[in-house]
Amino acid sequence: MIMNKRLLAVLAVILLAGCATTQRTTTYPPTGSVSEPPPSTEPRGETSRLPDRNPPQVSGGQREQPSPANQPLPPRTAEEASSPAVRSLLGRADTLARNGNMDLASSTLERALDLEPRNPFIYQRLAAVKLAQGQPGQAESMARKSNSVGGDNPFVRADNWQLIAEARRTAGDRQGASEAAAQAENYHRTSLQLTR
Amino acid sequence: MARKTPKSRRPARRPSKKRTAKPRRGFIRRLVPYVFLLFCLGAVVVAAYAVYLDGEVRSQFEGTRWTLPAKVYAAPLELYAGLDLSRSEIVSRLQRQGYRSSSSTDKAGTYETVGGSLDVHTRPFAFWDGDQADREIRMGFDSSGVASLRPLDGGDDLALIRLDPLMIGSIYPTQGEDRILVKLDEVPPMLPAGLITVEDRDFLHHWGVSPKSILRAAVANLRAGHVVQGGSTITQQLVKNFYLNNQQTLVRKAKEALMAILLDAHYSKPEILEAYLNEVYLGQDGGRAIHGFGLASYFYFQKPLEELQPNEIALLVAMVKGPSYYDPRRHPERVKARRNLVLDMFHDAGFLDDEGWAVAKKADLGVTARSSRTTSQYPAFIDLVRRQLHGQYDDADLTDDGLRIFTTLDPAIQASTEERINKGLSDIERARGITADSLQSAAVVTSVEGGRVLALVGGRDAGFAGFNRALDARRPIGSLMKPVVYLTALSEPSKYNVITPLDDSPLAVKLASGDTWRPQNYSKASHGRNVPLHYALTHSYNLATARLALDVGIPNVIETLKKLGYTGDPLAVPSLSLGAVDMAPMQVAQIYNTLAGGGYYTPLLAIRDVTTREGEPLNRYPLQIKRVVDEAPVYLTDWVMQRVARYGTGSSMYKVLPNSVNMAGKTGTTDNLRDSWFAGFGANRLAVVWVGRDDNQSAQLTGATGALQLWTRIMNDANPRGILDVPPEKVVDIPLRMRFSPGGAGSGANQDLYQYAQSCGNATDVPFIRGYVPDGLSGCDSDIMSENAARARQQQQQRESEDEGNWLQRIFR
Repeated sequence: MIMNKRLLAVLAVILLAGCATTQRTTTYPPTGSVSEPPPSTEPRGETSRLPDRNPPQVSGGQREQPSPANQPLPPRTAEEASSPAVRSLLGRADTLARNGNMDLASSTLERALDLEPRNPFIYQRLAAVKLAQGQPGQAESMARKSNSVGGDNPFVRADNWQLIAEARRTAGDRQGASEAAAQAENYHRTSLQLTR
Repeated sequence: MARKTPKSRRPARRPSKKRTAKPRRGFIRRLVPYVFLLFCLGAVVVAAYAVYLDGEVRSQFEGTRWTLPAKVYAAPLELYAGLDLSRSEIVSRLQRQGYRSSSSTDKAGTYETVGGSLDVHTRPFAFWDGDQADREIRMGFDSSGVASLRPLDGGDDLALIRLDPLMIGSIYPTQGEDRILVKLDEVPPMLPAGLITVEDRDFLHHWGVSPKSILRAAVANLRAGHVVQGGSTITQQLVKNFYLNNQQTLVRKAKEALMAILLDAHYSKPEILEAYLNEVYLGQDGGRAIHGFGLASYFYFQKPLEELQPNEIALLVAMVKGPSYYDPRRHPERVKARRNLVLDMFHDAGFLDDEGWAVAKKADLGVTARSSRTTSQYPAFIDLVRRQLHGQYDDADLTDDGLRIFTTLDPAIQASTEERINKGLSDIERARGITADSLQSAAVVTSVEGGRVLALVGGRDAGFAGFNRALDARRPIGSLMKPVVYLTALSEPSKYNVITPLDDSPLAVKLASGDTWRPQNYSKASHGRNVPLHYALTHSYNLATARLALDVGIPNVIETLKKLGYTGDPLAVPSLSLGAVDMAPMQVAQIYNTLAGGGYYTPLLAIRDVTTREGEPLNRYPLQIKRVVDEAPVYLTDWVMQRVARYGTGSSMYKVLPNSVNMAGKTGTTDNLRDSWFAGFGANRLAVVWVGRDDNQSAQLTGATGALQLWTRIMNDANPRGILDVPPEKVVDIPLRMRFSPGGAGSGANQDLYQYAQSCGNATDVPFIRGYVPDGLSGCDSDIMSENAARARQQQQQRESEDEGNWLQRIFR
């Protein structure tokens, strides 16, 4: 039951993050450029393949390092990244989830996914719902899928890794959880730099 | 039978008659009490029989009277600002669902085009996640589709709304009744009134049978010398349909009358009428018997009963007399005459006013088209639905309980896929001088994300419920296997990247059987020993791929195949790399869907939700995803498959598809041109198409000349969105100028093919896995391909001397 409380807390964080009222007019197309600051630790199972700890640099440097200042920020919330139709479905799903109706919340999010199949915020909420439904494996998959479709967006990735950390903790994988938490922290720092 | 039995008994009785003939008078007198007893006994028997019948009548009337086959629905169309459908596309969708164009939208199921906008009064519908009330909405349009959506009914603002889903079929036993139940107080009043007028004027007053009409019928029949008129009341007709078989015997008639009287005694007129509305037989659809007005309304008009117009109600009432004789699809003229007669009766009886009468008589039959062979609209898809339900539900659950099954089918994509296949095959046959009707085809279209099956076609005559090739025609997949080989290789970034030189020189492999396997390129020529990896896949080189597969190990290729979602157990033979494994289009779609989904496996689903007849949720099929392959090598593989579509064997797709839409795909051709495949995807659509012959003779088509031609048009109709290049965390894009000059011995290829743009501005972003970017990729004016080749040769020498080594140097530490 203690576990459940914590899960709900995470869920609430995620769901409330979606309700944040920060409004931005520009949306940021997901990109994965050379300039992407890589995470300090890589996901489990891949660490051995990826020893690099510093931002990669291509010799010859054909691309300039874009500074955070001259680039639009990636969307921080679902509000910014979603169409009115999807926003309305997300709002409905949030209400359902807050009332504990996870099945319908999930079904509503899938409806949103049909409209915007590559919206990372929808997958992120699905991850939160799966976590609340006691399906940590699916939660991690959804969060990683969110990372995958979201591109280089530290705001999304920080929350996703936080969810993954929680999912792994639920599944009893302590080490995996702390690795994921470190990732979350890392992306969180990156996102702070972006907003500065 | 019944007549023969007494005959055979007669000889046995005669002796007894003779014996009793002598004391005649006394015998008769003595017989009286026996006759009386017999009479009493008879009365008791009849009474007992009546009691028995009474029980039967009541238990059947009140118990589960009808088996209700499960109803299958397509995915509902979501309407919202931003939807990329034009007004005419939405109107055709509305028409497919029986929405009526009208000058006002005050009734559900109507629409009106006003200026540049479209007003729709949606139908109320009980969805799997709750009821949705009917709404009046207005949509505005711009060049890209729906630009605005607002309510006209003064209700809450809405950001989106679902249309009621199209009902696409029922799951009924091979020979069986199908129906949709209706309630008397929900049907248009004209229907019961009309039925009474036409079928049984005394219905409200008689007691189950009507001696008056029996007499009338008897006179008419006597005059004609044969049966021309039935004196059956609605109650008797119900009894006949309900409890009795079709024998025309006097005993049956008597039983029918008795039961009708009993029914009338027990139940009210409205109850009997409602049962009649749901029971009456109104047509045949292959093995499916259409019962009741509720289903007949969908069967003939594709819309709910409450939306029927007077001419449509009259048509159904007219058909009661003989649904096969008055089949509006087969005998339109005959039916129209009777419908108009019925309309006159409506008018005379006073419930159809003069104006409505005039309008209705002028109206067409209004029956929706349906091929005579059709047993359901989308038999191949319904077949998939049945299979996915199998194991979770008993047959009886599906055929009897009226379950509601909500599927993923997109009716528009399904319709265009059927049409493209049917027409496309004829075009190909004509253009290439192939015998008409010799080719067959199957196709699967999915949503990529979510793994929803949007369309499924099992053959060129899609309405024919025969061999479902999309699920059951297992054919060698040929080069569709290659991306699996390359993905396996690219999953070892220390050994392979997209520019790794591959050896395309001739190959001979001694097999365990003692035979030697000698694969060949399609052109029968080798392209040298240094073909960049991406190039070998783009142009579908067999030798380079076969060697690559042997290098990474066939068991590893099989492992990748299984991770992507293949459930079979292919033989670990070298020819597997070139597609020596049989698969149905659906299986290919599953594998490619995982590639399209960036390495996330989602089981392909045709069903979303199942509810009870009342709308209570029974089963959800929630989205399930699983990360089965690392995103990075999948991204690299997809990148190469985009080059297949852009520059390689799939490039003819851009004769039809807009250049701006990034697609990825792969052609497949098998030995002797037997099978022609294409599997490809954008961001939101994946389609797999197979073309071949049922007798497995040569189709004389490559993947590009056959399947790709159909695929391109299917995809173009399906509102595809292009792939967005969003590299995963571990992938880095490096702009390179790729100039490949194979040269050297063994190369017979046209060198011009390999000239890439010289100028630096035309550099291509080439993806590498972080940490494994080969060094020396410096200026854009160097020819990285030849450098790469040189490095490979160096590496080869090094490997030979050191026996272990890695030609790639990591430049990032």
